[in-house]
Amino acid sequence: MKKVLVIDDEQIVRISCERTLAPEGYEVTSASSTNEGLELFENNSFDLILLDIKMPDMDGIEALKKIKAARPETNVIMITGYSTVDTAVKTLKLGAINYIEKPFTPDILLAAVKEVFDT
Amino acid sequence: MKNIIRHPQKSLAAKLIIAIGLLMVIGSSVFWYAIFQKQEKDLSAIAVRYGGSLVNFIKEGTRDSMLAGHRSAIQQTLEDISIAEGVERVRIFDHKGKISFSTFREDIGKTVEKDSLSCRACHSDTEKSYELLQEPRKNSIYKAPDGFTALKLVEPVYNESSCYISKCHVHSREQKIIGFIEVDTSLALLDEAKLKQGLALIAYVFIFIVVISISLGIILYKIVSKPVSELTHGMEKIAAGDFNYSVPIKSEDEMGTLARTFNSMIKDIKAARDQREVWTHTLETEIAKKTEEIQKTHAGLVQTEKLASLGRMAAGVAHEINNPLTGIVTFAYLMKKNVSPESQEAEDLNVIIEQAERCSKIIKNLLAFARAAPSEKGRISINKVLAQTIYMVQNQEKFYNIKFEINMDESDFTTLGDASQFQQIFLNMIINAADAMNGRGTITIATRKITVNDKPYVEIAFSDTGCGIPEENLSKLFEPFFTTKPVGKGTGLGLSVSHGILKNYGGQIEVKSTIGKGTTFFIKLVLIEE
Repeated sequence: MKKVLVIDDEQIVRISCERTLAPEGYEVTSASSTNEGLELFENNSFDLILLDIKMPDMDGIEALKKIKAARPETNVIMITGYSTVDTAVKTLKLGAINYIEKPFTPDILLAAVKEVFDT
Repeated sequence: MKNIIRHPQKSLAAKLIIAIGLLMVIGSSVFWYAIFQKQEKDLSAIAVRYGGSLVNFIKEGTRDSMLAGHRSAIQQTLEDISIAEGVERVRIFDHKGKISFSTFREDIGKTVEKDSLSCRACHSDTEKSYELLQEPRKNSIYKAPDGFTALKLVEPVYNESSCYISKCHVHSREQKIIGFIEVDTSLALLDEAKLKQGLALIAYVFIFIVVISISLGIILYKIVSKPVSELTHGMEKIAAGDFNYSVPIKSEDEMGTLARTFNSMIKDIKAARDQREVWTHTLETEIAKKTEEIQKTHAGLVQTEKLASLGRMAAGVAHEINNPLTGIVTFAYLMKKNVSPESQEAEDLNVIIEQAERCSKIIKNLLAFARAAPSEKGRISINKVLAQTIYMVQNQEKFYNIKFEINMDESDFTTLGDASQFQQIFLNMIINAADAMNGRGTITIATRKITVNDKPYVEIAFSDTGCGIPEENLSKLFEPFFTTKPVGKGTGLGLSVSHGILKNYGGQIEVKSTIGKGTTFFIKLVLIEE
């Protein structure tokens, strides 16, 4: 079973991810802040991290840098409210596999997640 | 002329006339007085000459009677002579003053008073009769008791042989002067003549001065006073601001030169003033232009700032709304999985998903307006993008009844940016134009090169023949969500997004509209010169 960590300050987004991914056979863990997420990341092993760019305590991009610095092989998909190419390109350059724009449908999320494990 | 008479102290001509008049009065008085004196002297000399000849006549007329001793004949001769006009008295007396003959018989035998003019003619000191004057005054003019002047002539009769050898033996041989003939004549006629002459002279002088003064006055008025007053009048006119006035003096003298110089000076002043007025006007126009530009820029800045803050707010709101939308969409999907695809519930859930997606679209547009970040910056051919956009719409049903008029500049304008964003803007303009005309009319698209603040720009004008935009809506046009289109037809984001994109590329968008005639949008983009 693939382990997925969702880091987003919005509860509804975390629940949406859980409710979309869990039925598909993913083990979903949620964190409501970057710090909490990073702590979970340090103490556990995840196959994929869904990381929101805009977070109150720490910028998602900063968190991405830390994750990639600790374990570069970690798969990260960015969740962005700012659907701009600039931000996306930036996160991709920093090592993110993909990014999905809010609001996303379960189909989009699933397609992105599946793509990670299929390749 | 009035000034000369009323205020002589204020008139140059009057001063000159008074000065010259006074000099003439003094000069002519001295001259005429000298002439008068000379004439008087000449008349007196003539009187003396005639008097002298009268004395000689008496001397010769009585000579024979004297020698013959005929005393009565001598007396008779004297009385005859005294009848002549002007002869007052004739006397003959000896050197001691004893009167032997006189036209006044009562005087005969008397002695002439020693102090009288008769004795003083020859003697300086009448008490010592022997002291004679070097040059005896044989004649003297004196004032007669009747008030007129009179001439007294005293002629000595010298001793000669016929006298002392005559039978009467009255005179001895030793005697040098044997007697004196004295004639008193009245000069009353002369006095009268002199008085008349004097009066005539005074009259002549007076008339002369009056005539000269009037002539001088007229001459001075013509050559000095009138030109000066015309110059003064001219200066007053100029002082009052009438620079078109010129002094009408045509003479060739100093006054003419002064007037010509004055006129030329006024011409120069007028030219300078006109130039200054032109400058002032230009300056005013320039200031008005600049003020308008500043106001426009200010309004633009206010609008930009307003839109920017609206954009920031919209971005925040959009970001926040995205989260619940994700939830709505996700849960609608999840629920849909649990119902039959044919059921009413499935249909309802589709409505929820569609509407949530609509929300998402609106938010995307809003974010596009808020950020309008350049995506792929590259060299863009304006003409090409425009042509593509027009081609895209021309075959759509909406544009069947719309005529396109394309007035593109021959040169291909190049700018830096994202072609798809420009296409979005142009499309927006064309769709708006079509909506404003209710799908019927002409859309004119024109391009031209312009210069703003020394920088080259391409101006793309989109004109429609639509209903026009009311004045009160013009300022709100670029605000997000402002729309006059029916609900559901427009989001009110098209123009605000266009504005945001253009701002990012350093471009501008302006609008001019006339109600009932149409609207023109001007898009200005920075031009890259090849």
